[in-house]
Amino acid sequence: MRSITRTIPVDGTGWILIAILLGLLVVFPMAYTDPYILSLMTTGFILLVLNSSWNFLLGVGGVWNFGQLAIYAIGGYGAGLLMIHTPLPPLLDIILGGVFAAAVAIALAFPTLRLYGIYTSLLTFSFAEIVQFAILNDNSGFTGGPFGLPNVSGLFPTTLSDLWTTRAYYWTALTAAALTVIGLAVIVHSRLGLALQVIRDAPTYAAARGISPLKYRVIAFGIGGFVAGIAGGLYVSNNGTIQPTVMGLTPMSIDVTMLVVGGLGTAFGPVVGTALLIVIDSVLSTYPGVEFTILGVVLLVIVVFVPGGLVGEITRQRRRLATWLAEGDADG
Amino acid sequence: MVVDVIAIVTTTIILGSIYGLVAIGMSLIYGILRVLDMSQGSMVMVGSFVAWAALVLAQVNPLIALAAAFGVTFILGVLTQLVSVQPLVGRASIDFEMVTFITTFAVAMVLVNVALEIFGPRQRNVPPLLAGQVSIYQGVSLPYQSIAMVCVSLGLMLVFAAFLSKSRYGLAIRAVAQDANAARLMGVPIKRLFPLTMGLASALAGVAGVFLGATYFAYPQAGDLPLLEALIVVIFGGLGSLPGTVYAAYLVGLIQSIIEVTVGLTWTLPILYAVIVAILIIRPQGLMGKRSEARL
Repeated sequence: MRSITRTIPVDGTGWILIAILLGLLVVFPMAYTDPYILSLMTTGFILLVLNSSWNFLLGVGGVWNFGQLAIYAIGGYGAGLLMIHTPLPPLLDIILGGVFAAAVAIALAFPTLRLYGIYTSLLTFSFAEIVQFAILNDNSGFTGGPFGLPNVSGLFPTTLSDLWTTRAYYWTALTAAALTVIGLAVIVHSRLGLALQVIRDAPTYAAARGISPLKYRVIAFGIGGFVAGIAGGLYVSNNGTIQPTVMGLTPMSIDVTMLVVGGLGTAFGPVVGTALLIVIDSVLSTYPGVEFTILGVVLLVIVVFVPGGLVGEITRQRRRLATWLAEGDADG
Repeated sequence: MVVDVIAIVTTTIILGSIYGLVAIGMSLIYGILRVLDMSQGSMVMVGSFVAWAALVLAQVNPLIALAAAFGVTFILGVLTQLVSVQPLVGRASIDFEMVTFITTFAVAMVLVNVALEIFGPRQRNVPPLLAGQVSIYQGVSLPYQSIAMVCVSLGLMLVFAAFLSKSRYGLAIRAVAQDANAARLMGVPIKRLFPLTMGLASALAGVAGVFLGATYFAYPQAGDLPLLEALIVVIFGGLGSLPGTVYAAYLVGLIQSIIEVTVGLTWTLPILYAVIVAILIIRPQGLMGKRSEARL
């Protein structure tokens, strides 16, 4: 989606709004204690971390990586296995899981480097399917096969009350999500992000200016892989388990829909898309067939009629309004 | 040893034929429309369910079941094209290949979940089109069902090849694959040709689904594995190249059956994948893909 503008330029008011929103989210679990809603939001934050990492590769980097869910799962399994088998502090396990996921992602980057567009998506998509297939058919007991990794100890001591544990996970996931969204937005606006966008939009020009696609693609995969791995680690510690069902076509369809509805390649698209889809998901989750049929239709309609996603469309309309106002000024 | 070789050869032919049937459609669609059709897997699933409905519920002749699967998936393929691809053709400022990858994926999502709503998650037994088997060598036996599958697959591939090389429509399809704009200037009705192509490709996948359903089961996710295998075949063969796809189908079948016999079923896909990655690193455009599609 090349010509779609990628970021909302955040001005002073923008930052204030973001700060207010974050503040509200931080105090929310003190005022509202329904554990279902809180854990739903925690899941949403974790998904947001994952979706932002994917958006970074897919939307900003223009790398057709459809294997991100496998990287996410690898980070989760890595962190989970460390939590079970080593006495390391769980927070370190999550970070190590992220590093492991980044290493796998970088290894995946190399065979895709020589490939163009659609071949990249084929290769990464099959990679994800193979990872899922391998875990599903693992009978050695190491990953737990189809039943998943059991009894992963969480981040927080069991002496903590249920409510405070829920709150603690909520804040951990919120912190991770905020750091991810803001951190990736900063990267997108740095020289690194610029280089990635140039490689996406004008590969020949980028090469002529001495921007190495090899170097930047590997860096992009590394960053995206690390963030996705962290999301996986958060998932495994929050849920106490991780199953091969976190990958595959079904979760991928939800995540793709979140990205596309929000606006692929925009900084806040994943935020909008994830929030919206989490709500739809929780309302419809008792009718899985209906839910995914509706999601599929929504995905189709958005791609065909609102190709920039909601955030892209809002940006476009704001720009039109600004142009229109400017014209009015000029006439007046 | 001899048993192993015979087992490998027969499995290769069976797997290769069925892969070829699904993958040819994908490759053709990519060659003409530049769309990687992710809905092909669900067409396989629909084909299985049509066969189940025809053979178990309606109890009709297997040939009618095949024809029904062909017809239903043909219509679905045409509709898929009209809904998910046609509105995007020629639209400026989008990455067409990526966007259609997502829209056809959305169609697959809808089809799988409509099937889930109608039939439920249960696996259904599709009876074989032909019962019985023939023993060919000590312990290696070949069900008539598999022989029929190979014959129908090969037959359809041949008919399809003849259609592409001899008929007027085939000529038009090949012209579009070579240069869509030139073909349009020569008066080829592109808008009519696109849905037809996607319908035909989907119908091939639907027929494959009849046999796969009888070999395994009919259930809503029945298309996932065939889709993955077809993807591996089309990458390997080179997208858009039909001969490449057919060779790749049998080669992938060969590699897979060798792994199955020597290493075991569990590791077939991971090893197969490793082999394909190794080949792609050497030849990024696949066996017979065009160099221009693999730039960068």
